[in-house]
Amino acid sequence: MYAKHSKLTPTLIAIVGFLTVCPVAMLVIGSFSTNLGTLGGFTLDKYIEAYTDPELLGIIVNTLIFVLGSSFLATALALFLSYLNNRTDIPFKFMFRVISIIPMMIPHILFSVSWVLLLNPSNGIINLFLRQVLGMEGGLNVYSLEGMILVEGLLDLPIAYLIIAPAMASFDVALEESSRVCGGTPLRTLFRITLPVLRPAIMAAFILSLVRSLASFAVPSVIGMPGRIYVLSTHIYRAVSTGFSADYGKAAALGMVVLASSITLIYLYRFMTRESEKYVTISSRGYRPTVIRLKGARYPMFAVVGLLSFVLIVLPVLVLFYTSMVPYSMVPSAKAFSMMSWRHWLAVINDPISLLSLKNSVILGVGGATLGIFLSIFVAYVIVKVRTPASGLLESLSFLSFSFPGIVIGVGFMWFFVQTPLYATLWALLIGYIATYLPYGVRPLASAFVQVHSHLEESSLVCGASRVQTMRRIVIPLLVPGIVSGWILMATMFVRELTLSVVLSRPGTEVLAVQILRFSEDGLWGRLSALGIIMIFISTALVVLASWVGAKFKPVQEE
Amino acid sequence: MDIQIENLCKRYTSGGKTINALDDVTLTIPANKIFTLLGPSGCGKTTLLRCIVGLESPDSGEIRIGGETVWSGGNNIYVPPEKRGLGMVFQSYAIWPHMTVFDNVAYPLQTRKTDRAEIRRRVAKTLSFVQLEGFEDRPATKLSGGQQQRVALARALVAEPKVILFDEPLSNLDAKLREETRKDLRVFLTELGITAVYVTHDRIEALALSDLIAVMRNGRIIEKGTPRDIYFHSEHNFVADFIGRTNLIDGVVKSREADATTVECPLGEVRCASQADIAPGDKVVLSLRPEFLHIAEDGAAPEDGTANRITGRIDSLVFVGEAMEGEVLVGDTRLFVKVRPDSELKEGDAVSMTVTPAHCLLLTK
Repeated sequence: MYAKHSKLTPTLIAIVGFLTVCPVAMLVIGSFSTNLGTLGGFTLDKYIEAYTDPELLGIIVNTLIFVLGSSFLATALALFLSYLNNRTDIPFKFMFRVISIIPMMIPHILFSVSWVLLLNPSNGIINLFLRQVLGMEGGLNVYSLEGMILVEGLLDLPIAYLIIAPAMASFDVALEESSRVCGGTPLRTLFRITLPVLRPAIMAAFILSLVRSLASFAVPSVIGMPGRIYVLSTHIYRAVSTGFSADYGKAAALGMVVLASSITLIYLYRFMTRESEKYVTISSRGYRPTVIRLKGARYPMFAVVGLLSFVLIVLPVLVLFYTSMVPYSMVPSAKAFSMMSWRHWLAVINDPISLLSLKNSVILGVGGATLGIFLSIFVAYVIVKVRTPASGLLESLSFLSFSFPGIVIGVGFMWFFVQTPLYATLWALLIGYIATYLPYGVRPLASAFVQVHSHLEESSLVCGASRVQTMRRIVIPLLVPGIVSGWILMATMFVRELTLSVVLSRPGTEVLAVQILRFSEDGLWGRLSALGIIMIFISTALVVLASWVGAKFKPVQEE
Repeated sequence: MDIQIENLCKRYTSGGKTINALDDVTLTIPANKIFTLLGPSGCGKTTLLRCIVGLESPDSGEIRIGGETVWSGGNNIYVPPEKRGLGMVFQSYAIWPHMTVFDNVAYPLQTRKTDRAEIRRRVAKTLSFVQLEGFEDRPATKLSGGQQQRVALARALVAEPKVILFDEPLSNLDAKLREETRKDLRVFLTELGITAVYVTHDRIEALALSDLIAVMRNGRIIEKGTPRDIYFHSEHNFVADFIGRTNLIDGVVKSREADATTVECPLGEVRCASQADIAPGDKVVLSLRPEFLHIAEDGAAPEDGTANRITGRIDSLVFVGEAMEGEVLVGDTRLFVKVRPDSELKEGDAVSMTVTPAHCLLLTK
């Protein structure tokens, strides 16, 4: 019955293996080679050069503070929010869904830029307000480790929330109640029961935040670099993008540490999520959870949530739009409104490189997500439905790229593409994107396949349909929701992709995020904001379009 | 310790509707007895239990445990659960998954600041009491359902509370294990001689386990008594029906004598056990339990002069192993009956049944 899968599985292992192992292998080889294009010239010089750099110690310390600080902030906020949502009578609970989903539509680089516009020491809007309106001296400086931690922490909050909230929701409240009956005070119950039971989920959220902030490039480049605060990702970027000759060997040698820690963390994460499922399964249908009455604190607590969602969603868009309309940075006032114009928008529309990057990003978003989902369908099918050791290998391979820090993997791919005609083409970016973001397509499809019970397929076969007919008539229609959400996830990731692109993008293959980074390096905030708003608009349009197509193909129209 | 509950009320609003979870409940749970709150789901039994233990606060009324007021709406008294010193077994057992069996059972003693050697001794003693010797270091996630249940019991007992509460503790066990555990629990609790409050919707569990049963419906206690009282002499037709299968037939009291009451009903005239508060002309419901309807096969009826005789025709008969369950049509009335499994009777046979007046219950509510 599974005869044809004997061919499918190895084919997929070859494709996914190429996508994930190739950049890693090239990174290793590259780190021992003298320079791009000269593979084989074995040398340890790059390691010696990279790791004897007197600056490195400070960079590692910065990285540790940045990564730990932002992960701690993200996890603590996520824990606080999921507790409020699941266990208290806080009003307007739909806000929590908004907080966990909408920020994903705002590209990290734009979020970082909006904070620069608000808090940069020379003309940040908040600082201008403090000085001009309140007459205060100095002000706040976003170009600092604290600023980086704040912004990255807010960026990692939604993902941490998405991990902690389900664990909190499936938490059996009887575990806490029995502690109370056994004589435990509320405080003791919190520390001896609630937090320890949630520990695997909390740890998983923390570890995933670590991986993401370690790979983060938007915050360190937009906020860190102007303040001369370098972390590993920007240190690697500096090696390949500045100076007279880009040193891909040194970048590869540095990237090895980042990649190794990232892979270690991601496997730790995987272990933690399994552990947390083990804890969850033993809780059973309990009594309807008692809701904690916030009483007087109800609206103040809601105000905190409201402020967070304002800061996460409304503020960045508002600031960008405002900045795109005013000639230079100024506090919102009657004068500012009178000076508003479409100047920056026109400049962007007349800028050939901006237009090219727009076109490239849309092509990569639509084309890349479509190809990526096509691959994901087969990979998810083999992982879920064909349970052999080979499919286990495929799962591990496709999961591996979850840990890929874009900039490091970009360097790895660079070593590969230089040897091929793909160098400096959109294909290079496309392949890199799919390799790095494959898990985002595989995961929703894998859970969709889990829901397609094998009896559904079997009964189709018994009814006389062939395997292909079964796939087309039964399996695919049931997968539509999974396909749509996977496609949306991939397309929005690709449209905003920055970390891989800064390494792989060449003149002619500019993409939106890279163009925005250029504008930010040149301080062209008005144009940046205009292009940024266009970028958000495109992401949103893709989401709406995909949802609409998904609804059209829905097998059963819901009443 | 006894538990006194006075005029307890608790209302919920859900979806714009107000539900009376507890509707003016007044109840005394006597010391050192196994007391069961029995009723269908949503009747308020679990809410009452949670109010006693302190996990929920009533809207008004008063609760006293062993003379001490733990909750009073009028006097604004609320003793939190951790200060009430009770033991409780939860429906889901609520075994803490991140702890070993020892840690789970030792927890109540640790909160009471008992010294370590004493904790060790008492945990060992309690575990051996629930027959889990040697399980101390087992992680809680590596236990079967029955073992988890006993860990939960050990945890509830270890601090030697004067009152222990059970919230449907057997409902997550499979049928066979449930029966065994029920017997064990009865033995444990009788041996300990403490007050036990037990919540269940399973009538057999309630009958087999309890010293006293209170039947609840819609937030009210509608009848209270020993298992036998409830089974044989319930006054309320909801209770008679809930506690066991029965045939309920409407009738009117025709006459009342010293030793029997005669009721006119669709089955004819039926002589029932005498009952003091009934007068001729009253409307009543007659309850006939299937196990007391003796079917006389081949006309060989026991010659008991006082027994009622009812004749009818077998309408359906289903073999279920330990018996045959059938329906007999008497005129237009359908009676549920039980027949010996090896009986030769078949559908369509005319039968005659006898039932003694003592087993013909009259329900007045």
